Amino acid sequence: MTRGILIYAHNNRTVDYALMAIISGGLAKKNLQVPVSLITDISTVEWMKESNIFNHATDIFEHIITVDRPATANQRHLNDGQTGQMVPFINTNRNTACDLTPYDRTLLIDSDFFVLSNSLGEYWDIDIDVMLGDAINDIYNDSRTGYLDRHVSDTGVKMYWATTVMFSKNSNAKLFFDTVNYIKENYSQFADVFRFDPRQFRNDIAFSIAKHILDGYRQTDIGSLPPVLSALDKDILHGVNGNTLTFLVDYKFTNSYCAAAISDIDVHIMNKQSVIRHKQALLELI
Amino acid sequence: MNFGYLIVVAEHDSVDYLQLAYGLALSIKNTQQQGYDRVAIVIDDKTKIEKLTSPWVFDHVIEWSQETFWDGRSWMDQLTPFDHTVCLDADMLFVQDHSHWIDYFIDNSELYVANQVFTYRGDTVSDRSYRKAFDKNNLPDLYSMWTFFNKDSQMAKEFFDLGRSIIKNPIEFSNTFLHQHKPKVLGTDEAFALSADILGITDEIAYALDFPRIVHMKPMLQKWPWPADTWSDHVGFYLNKKGQLKIGNYQQYDIIHYVEKDKINKEMINNLEEIAWKL
Repeated sequence: MTRGILIYAHNNRTVDYALMAIISGGLAKKNLQVPVSLITDISTVEWMKESNIFNHATDIFEHIITVDRPATANQRHLNDGQTGQMVPFINTNRNTACDLTPYDRTLLIDSDFFVLSNSLGEYWDIDIDVMLGDAINDIYNDSRTGYLDRHVSDTGVKMYWATTVMFSKNSNAKLFFDTVNYIKENYSQFADVFRFDPRQFRNDIAFSIAKHILDGYRQTDIGSLPPVLSALDKDILHGVNGNTLTFLVDYKFTNSYCAAAISDIDVHIMNKQSVIRHKQALLELI
Repeated sequence: MNFGYLIVVAEHDSVDYLQLAYGLALSIKNTQQQGYDRVAIVIDDKTKIEKLTSPWVFDHVIEWSQETFWDGRSWMDQLTPFDHTVCLDADMLFVQDHSHWIDYFIDNSELYVANQVFTYRGDTVSDRSYRKAFDKNNLPDLYSMWTFFNKDSQMAKEFFDLGRSIIKNPIEFSNTFLHQHKPKVLGTDEAFALSADILGITDEIAYALDFPRIVHMKPMLQKWPWPADTWSDHVGFYLNKKGQLKIGNYQQYDIIHYVEKDKINKEMINNLEEIAWKL
């Protein structure tokens, strides 16, 4: 049975997701000791060549799979510490992962998720077809996460985090990803039934509802990956020193910062620009 | 084995408790195995039962009017026609078979009172808005809506005798035992909890078990991010023609205590009747 990691990256004019995927893929490959493949589009590949990072990509990725760039009207406000801007968010094709993965057992991760440990390696052999990140764990503490980080709506279902998804390439996982696609294509109708805000498509919501439906419209303890430790986009990656990452954490969302550090633990860094600023140090970790 | 469910209904100005009990009895007939599906009802006037479309769902009809409203439930041990009984509140529904658990209680227990409840999402209820008297007075967290007892049990007899005394003498018992927080109404839950506490039998009648799992629909228990007066303002209640129940986005698999008495309307009764007629 083949195992591997899959990352999606579609650049926009503001965020170099390809570079993020190279860093994320390189760290995952190093720490989980399995191959990594990239799903991207022709224009992102052209950008990688133009910006001289394509040789990194070919070193790290076992397969670079090009697909049509998904059309999206998704816009998202991305913070970079105290500043921020609206950027297009091209992320609506994760439902294709089961069809496109070259592996029998796949760990699908976001390009801003950085594997610095082997903890997810413990899940390869678990006999569950689809597993999702159980929750978000804030790098500071629970005071910065809200009810809607844990539920898709006030009265609705539990929110899982599609930042990490492990699945087997089989009919059950295919059904799961087809359900995600159905929810995506009927997002407004599902928003009426599950009471979430439909204005921006979120993989976390589509994946959570698909799991809820396929679990028999109930919450189960089955199919969870560890909670996703996350530095929010108001936080700033400050330094990279070996496997230790230091952050400035906006601990009250009042532009008041405190320092935090993590070592040898997987982390989701939502402030993408601060990752890009440390690309050299992060690439040296690989 | 002589086992059955007991439902005590009372006359009320605005709530048709007989209709609620009828819905519950239908749901028991529809879901529990033969031998575990008998239902007795205690009512002040037997002739009311004859007006139901399917009065046969009640295997025993006991005419009794000694007490009013919920005080009648504290007489469950003397009213039941069964050797082994689970006494239920009328505003409950069964949606799947739990018969195997009844064997467990008959074999292992003389008296057992539900002691944890769940939200419609399946989370264990942690909110204490309705349980201040329990917490302040260190009473065991009992829910009388599901009470199993063996009619021959001396412990059950003492428990119910004391429970009745408490309900009959609420001021005296409150002054003596509930001085940290006196409840406005000393109801069956408080009386049972105090009875268990005074007799020192809590560990014998309310130990941790995976059953009964009861979804308690009091609105403040639902772990919503805001206070709520009425749960049906926020989530739907969908009982289909197969007797399957969804609350909000959640399929229900446990015993439901729906609290809002208007939830069982004639259409739902009709759905439950049609299932029962096909059995």
